[in-house]
Amino acid sequence: MPVLRASALTFSYGPEPLINGLGFELRSGDFMCVLGPNGSGKSTLLKLLTGYIRGASGSVHIAGEDVFGIGTRELARLVAYVPSETSTPYDFTAREMVLLGRTARSGFWRGYSAADEEAADRAMEETGITRFAGRSVNSLSTGERQLAFIAQALAQEARVLLMDEPTSHLDLKYKSAVMALLAGLVSKRMAVAVVLHEPALARLGCNKALLMERGGGYSFGPVPELLTAQRLARVYGLPENSPLLPK
Amino acid sequence: MERNKVLLLFAVLAAACLFSLAAGPAGWSNADVILNLRLPRTLAALAVGAGLGLAGALFQGVLKNPLSDPYILGTSSGATAAAVFCFLAGIERTSPVFFLAVFAGAFGATFLSYWLARLAGRLSDASLVLAGVAVSAFLSALVMLTLTSVRERSFSLLYFVLGGLYSVQPGVLIASSLIIAAAGAAAMLRWRALDAMALGEEKAYHLGAEPGRERIIFFALACAATSAAVAIGGTIGFVGLMTPHIVRLLTKPSARTLIPASAVGGAALLAAADAAGRSLFSPAEVPAGVIMALAGAPFFMWLLWKNSRGTA
Repeated sequence: MPVLRASALTFSYGPEPLINGLGFELRSGDFMCVLGPNGSGKSTLLKLLTGYIRGASGSVHIAGEDVFGIGTRELARLVAYVPSETSTPYDFTAREMVLLGRTARSGFWRGYSAADEEAADRAMEETGITRFAGRSVNSLSTGERQLAFIAQALAQEARVLLMDEPTSHLDLKYKSAVMALLAGLVSKRMAVAVVLHEPALARLGCNKALLMERGGGYSFGPVPELLTAQRLARVYGLPENSPLLPK
Repeated sequence: MERNKVLLLFAVLAAACLFSLAAGPAGWSNADVILNLRLPRTLAALAVGAGLGLAGALFQGVLKNPLSDPYILGTSSGATAAAVFCFLAGIERTSPVFFLAVFAGAFGATFLSYWLARLAGRLSDASLVLAGVAVSAFLSALVMLTLTSVRERSFSLLYFVLGGLYSVQPGVLIASSLIIAAAGAAAMLRWRALDAMALGEEKAYHLGAEPGRERIIFFALACAATSAAVAIGGTIGFVGLMTPHIVRLLTKPSARTLIPASAVGGAALLAAADAAGRSLFSPAEVPAGVIMALAGAPFFMWLLWKNSRGTA
């Protein structure tokens, strides 16, 4: 059974369709990149998948259940979502931030259980942020902060991880580190969908690709077949011999 | 929160209480003055301060906005306007109808500010402050219009509107204290949801808290605390704004410690401000609301300056 299935999703903010009849399936162990030019609806798609944005026609099923039939708490145990940037005016420490990933797994008023603390410590180890556990997230660099929010999502122990441009503000080293981290999660039977700006990053472990076009068109399939220079050139509006495209 | 920080917080509270009990021309010499005048007044300052500090912590968390507090959002103005209309309609301060009306005024004004800020597009820190200022100004104008057209009692009502702790009826003090304590306890039961909201609505949703529901719950709790405070002391500004910022220097930002610490800190802050108003310009007496504005307005400017340089 696919852990995440979208079928015939159609959505628009205005008269022009942004997403038109889109459908795909992810199973445990799938690592999908979502590519497409600016304004093709990549970020909107992620929020439609979690039911945060309403008003789309079509359906999204998570672990076999319609997303709108799942309560918010239950949903957070199934799907974790990391926006491209999260900020807070308050100086939460990195560890407190990661612990907030346990919101859906502990009662609203109780303190954190030993299992919560363990999950947070494990998530910080996996993302390599243990050394600044006690520092305020606002004092971290952009890359470090992004890792803290990835750790928060890991502490959620969800089955699906959705990430919106996790690498957009990062240097090459952090980019490859984040992709390697995600590939590691996939090997542990998680399903990951990640919005990327650079098609080249898809080669760092993605097995599926969703290529979105402006105006609602899309294609979905395995990475090697789908991400050809020819198709990417057409979707991004680049000449086929552009050095930005894979050879 | 570590133990010595709890002790420090309560030491500050005790010092503020002592100051409030001692402040005044008669000093410590007259036991009668202390017991019958200053003690009720100190208790009133503690209750009002706790209510406003609590409301500030809840608003700042649920709106993810460090500039919000019941005064700036128009909550206090809504409560004050409702209270003034109740007085004029002859509804007693101790009646449940009075508390319900004041709560409705607070809640209505807060949601109006929130809704106006949302209309402006994305909810930003600045749009919320602007909307709150507009709502407050309009409600204050309504109150002033009413006070100038009904001549009788307008002087005592004006003192209420200006915010002061002169004459406190025991019944009002007890009812308000109970409401504030209940609101604080209910907020404590949902501290984790408040922390999630402090990361923004989108993040809160994906962490498992329903943002629309949490907003209504925390607005209702903050409005209950604010209206109970207003029922005692009228419009007193900036306690809700300043207290959580000061308290965060001592505690962690998590609502689990911030909620109780803001209530205690707000109580200490207002007791000290009221005592300062009684002693600094003696024999003249300056209302606590004026002292808080004198201290709070520069604090607000500093916050604006700090926010404009911040990471956001």
